[in-house]
Order: sequence, then C-alpha cells, then structure tokens
Amino acid sequence: MVAQTPILIVVIPLIAAFICPLIGLFRRGLCYFWMVLALLVCTIASIKTLYAVIDGGTIHYRLGGWPPPFGIEYVVDHLNAMMLIVISVISLIVAVYSKESVEQELPQRAVYFYTVFLLQVTGFLGIVITGDLFNLYVFLEIASLAGYALIAIGEDGAPLACFRYIVMGTIGACFYLLGIGYIYISTGSLNMADVQEILPGLYHSKVIVTAIAFLLAGLAVKMALFPVHVWLPDAYTKAPSAVSALVAPLMTKISLYVMIRILFSVFKPHLSIQVLPITQIMVWAGFVAICAGAIMALAQKDFKRMLCYIVVAEVGYIVGGVGLANTTAMKGAILHILNDAVMTAGLFTVAGIIMYKVKSRKLSDFKGLFRKMPFTMAAFVVGALSIIGVPPTCGFFSKWYLIQGAVIANQWAFVAALLGSSLINVILFFRIIEIGYVFHDSHGENTHNGDVTRRIEEAPFSMLIPTIAVALAIILIGFYNQTILSKIIQFAVPKI
Amino acid sequence: MFDFIVGHYNYWMYIGLMMIGFYAMMAKRNLIKKIIGMNIFQSAIIFFYISTSVKKGNVTVPILEHAHGDHGTHAIDVMQYANPLPHVLMLTAIVVMVATLGVALAVAIMVYRRYNTLEEDEIILSMRRGG
Amino acid sequence: MKALSLITAIVVGVALIYGTLDMPKWGDPHSPASSHVSPYYLHNSLEQTATPNVVTSVLADYRGYDTLGETTVIFTAGMACILLLRRSRRRQK
Repeated sequence: MVAQTPILIVVIPLIAAFICPLIGLFRRGLCYFWMVLALLVCTIASIKTLYAVIDGGTIHYRLGGWPPPFGIEYVVDHLNAMMLIVISVISLIVAVYSKESVEQELPQRAVYFYTVFLLQVTGFLGIVITGDLFNLYVFLEIASLAGYALIAIGEDGAPLACFRYIVMGTIGACFYLLGIGYIYISTGSLNMADVQEILPGLYHSKVIVTAIAFLLAGLAVKMALFPVHVWLPDAYTKAPSAVSALVAPLMTKISLYVMIRILFSVFKPHLSIQVLPITQIMVWAGFVAICAGAIMALAQKDFKRMLCYIVVAEVGYIVGGVGLANTTAMKGAILHILNDAVMTAGLFTVAGIIMYKVKSRKLSDFKGLFRKMPFTMAAFVVGALSIIGVPPTCGFFSKWYLIQGAVIANQWAFVAALLGSSLINVILFFRIIEIGYVFHDSHGENTHNGDVTRRIEEAPFSMLIPTIAVALAIILIGFYNQTILSKIIQFAVPKI
Repeated sequence: MFDFIVGHYNYWMYIGLMMIGFYAMMAKRNLIKKIIGMNIFQSAIIFFYISTSVKKGNVTVPILEHAHGDHGTHAIDVMQYANPLPHVLMLTAIVVMVATLGVALAVAIMVYRRYNTLEEDEIILSMRRGG
Repeated sequence: MKALSLITAIVVGVALIYGTLDMPKWGDPHSPASSHVSPYYLHNSLEQTATPNVVTSVLADYRGYDTLGETTVIFTAGMACILLLRRSRRRQK
C-alpha cells in the first residue's frame, strides 16, 4: 500500500466525491462525516509520502506502468511533498470548520456543497503532484470549475463576481494551454523532465520565448499578480465563509508552486536568469504588487476585503522572492508559501466566525469583540502578528530570509517594500485590535445589567477548535522553522 | 517568402480566430456575448493543436489496417499515419471547454434570476442603487 | 475600455504570431512533434494494447489518467450546476 500512496492521495477525495451524493440520498447528516473521514485518510497518506521522500529521495510513480514520456508520471520531491501536506491539512481543518457555517449560510445545499468541496481538494492535490504538463491542465480545470461553483453560491453579488472570475480564470487557463502547445510543437513531448532535457538547444528560438511568456502570463492571472488581480477581492469577499477559508490560502499558492516548477524544472534556471530578463521583471512585479496590495488594504472598511488585498501583497512577496534568484531568497520564498497558506487560513477562519456570530464584516462592528469572543480574537492576534512578522510566529522567519536575499541581490527597492508593507500591516491590524479592545459596546453601557458585555458568546466548538489549531500551527511552525528548513526546504530549493 | 507563408498560414489563421474570441470576452458588455467569445477562443486553440498533427503526402487516419491476423508481419510506416497525440489531448480539451461553458451559463442564469437583465452596465447600475 | 481591449488583443496576437515564426512548417513529417513520442505509439500500440485505433489506445491506455481527469471534469460541472441552480421547493412562490 505504501508504494501506491502517491496515487491514493488524489484518488481518495475523488472517490469520496463520487459517493457523497449517494450518501446524501439516504442520510443528509452523514455527508459531513464522510467528507472529514476522506480528508483525514488523505492527510495520513500525504504525511506518509512526506516521510518517504525525506528518507528515500524523490518518488517516481508511473500511472499504468508506462514509462515516461509515453505515459503519465507522478514525481514527488521535497517541494511537492510539502505542498501536499499544506493542502491536505488545511483542507481537513476547513472541512471540520465548515459544518456550522454551511448550515447557517447554505441550508439547502449542504450535500452538493460537500461534494464540490471534495472535488476542489482533488483538483488542488492533482495539480501539485503531477509531472506531466497536460495532466496539470486537466486538474487545474477541475479545481477551477469547483472553485467557480463554490464561490457563486455566496451572498448577494456573488454570481456576478464569480462570472468575472470565470472569464479571467478561463483566459489564464487557456494561455497556459497555449504555452504547453508551443512547447509540444517544438519538442514533441509533454513530460516535464523530458522537456527539460530536450529544450536547452532551443532556448534562443522564438517559439520557446513565446511559450514561457504565455505560461507565466496564464499563471499570473491565476495567482492574482497585480494588475490582473481584479477578480480576487470581489470573488473571495462574497464567497461563503468556509469557501474563502479553503480557496484563499490555497489557490494562489498552488499557482505560485506551478510557476516555480515551470521556471526551474521545465526550463533550466539559467534561462530565466541569464538568457531572458524574467527574474528582473519578477522582482519589479513583486515590488508593485506589495505596494499596491498594502495601499489598497488600508482603504478597506470590510474585514474580508482587507484580507483579500493582503493576499495580493503576499503573492508579491513570493514572486519577488523567486525573482531575486539566490538560494537565501528562494528558501524564504518557499517557506513563505507554507507560512502564508497557514496565516491566511487562520485569518479567514476568524473572519468566518465573526460573520457567523456578528453577521457583519464591517470593521466598525468589531466593537467589544475581545470581551465576547476571547479565544477567536486570540487566534486573530496570532495571525496578525504573523502577517506583520513578529517572532516567534512563522511570518517573521520567512520575511527575514526574504530581506536577507534581497540585500544579497542588491535590490534595495524590494527591501524597502518588504519593510514598508510590514509597517502598513501594523497599522491595519492594530486599528482592528483598538476597535475590538478599547471601545465598549454602547448598548451595554445603557442597559442596567452590565453583564451583557461580560458574557462570552464564543463560536461553536466545531468552528473554534480548527481556528485555534491553525493559530497553534502558526506558532509551532515558527518554533520548528529550522527543522523544516533543514529537512525539507533545503532540498526543495532549485540549484541556481 | 511564399513558401514561408504556405508553411505557416494555418497557425496565423487560428491565432486570428483566437484574438476575435479574446476581444469579445474582454470588450463586450453582455454576459452571453462574453461566453460566446470564450467559446470561440477555446475552439480556436483546439483547432491550432489539431492542425499540427497533419503530415504532407499520402497520409491517413491513425488506425492501423490489416491489424488482427498479421501480428507484426507488416512493418508500420510512421509516415503514412497522422500524429495521434494532439487528437487525444484535444478530446480532453473539448470536454473541458463544454464543462466550462455549462458552468458559465449556470452562473449567468443565477445573475439573470437576481437582476432580470444580462447587460453588465445595467447590473452595476442596479447594484449601485441598492437592489 | 473597448480601445484597451482591442490593443491588448492585438498585442497578444502579435506575440503569438511572433512565436510561430520559428515553428516547423505545416505538415512537416519530420517535425519534433511527429518524430519524438508519436512513432512509439504507432509502432507499439498493436502489440501492447491490442487496439488498431491508435487514438483510442493512447486515450484509454497510455494516457488513461487524463481520461479519468476528463470524466471528473464532467462530474464537477454536473455537481456545480446542481449546486448553483437547484431551487428549494419551500422558497418557490
């Protein structure tokens, strides 16, 4: 069984998604437990795969036994294994979290919601584990279609936001398909390792330059790199809470992972660094994205929308970090993929709890929340400190490596952007903490029993425990960051 | 020069078709026209791929004739058969295109149920008015 | 907005056409696409998969996993349409 774990990771949520509607025909309440069980098994399989990769090196799994490049191959190396764990653990946590929020926001649609949720997770897992370019496109479309459906069932205004997302997402996927087409026409193969061997003789041909341009353009739309990020704020703000908590941390990071794969495992690094000025463009794109995301986040009065612009800025960190093209910055960028997924999951789960209890997302409605929901707001403070970059939370360490890498590469503008955005994050989050702590709820002052403000109205356990688990994970990843770096990320960094 | 054009005009034709679809997706204000543009764009990409599987000369479809019963006594001349791989990839891409079309139309139905119009300007006007 | 879209479409089109300038000619039987992986399928499809139709053998055997992905895409679209469009009976007036 252990030899088959790479394929089991993808197939278990898939089969669970096929069976989920059948279970829903008999007992609607069982679907939630079925989904959590499937994701639990999937997480165990991905942890096993991580240990297998740490002990034994890269795993090659041939689907159907056909040798690549004639068949499809799954390649699990350290970067992949880390991404698999991130996706399966965050999906499991959000799945446990989703029960109460789905019952409140989408009462009639629970069964099919859980089905499409499982299909979304299947798509994500299939994207990161594959070693074949066209297979990646197929699973990218599975994840995208499931994402469109999950986002469109949100609050008022969600269908239109989702329609814009559909148009832009399809443009992104089609540009990716065009890029694969150009690579296929000039090499004849679709397997990533095979293409990497054939291509170096062709690096100066116009076909390959166009191919890499379109691949990166398509992925830029999917990862919401400024200025093609316009679909993200509306779509993720109006989506249901459980959907934002699942998709916001993961979709952009997976597109970043695909970008790293294409730049370093399909094309050799020296193409992006020496032959074409791709890494230089990436540093500037990251700089602009960080500045734009931070400034637009300051102008928001809606909590979730502010978090969406923070996500846009975080994408800028990672794109710029990869563009710096030295080992330290790459370590920082890959560690930041892990950290940002966890931090964003933490903050979006908090936003979901606040939406569930207070039924509002406006920052002015956060008054007195620190008294009413102490545990939730404690998780919020941990997430906020991590985004600002305060030790010992995990966000500090990845920013530290990114700043070091930028100094080594003499990119002072990027250093300034990193430090400046940390300051802006301080303003953003302390503004919320001030509203939550200092202002007493004015209704409580006027009633005779002052107990109204002192009662703790915490979220239900099924929502609270996952949120606290993510907050604990943020702190633990911070404490163990050297272990993670030395055992996993050090081998995941491509040799530049 | 003429040789070059004859050797590449198929690519240019399909790129032109792609750009018609791409322009429609971005510039039109009606949701259904955007969906039609999306369909044209994806169909043009499918044509582009398939046009690369053709070979000049006496070429037939990639179905091996006199197959059962000979078992390898005839050597298979690769130059006689068209390239099968782009056809396979595009079978999957066609299915993906239809699925995306279906979901896009479902979302358009949801928008219509809510706002009673499919023109983007009218929808934004209606949203600004608060209903 | 329409002018910006037109300019973007023209720029993207020119970039794509620039990419085709180095491509093999249409119908070239010795192009990389026709001489790398495809001859293996044509030569070995009969003895390895017992199927004379090479497109079928690639679709269902060599790259069968892509076909599973394609089936999942259809299933996802179906579930998405149910999720999006099904109206609850109680709310219908």
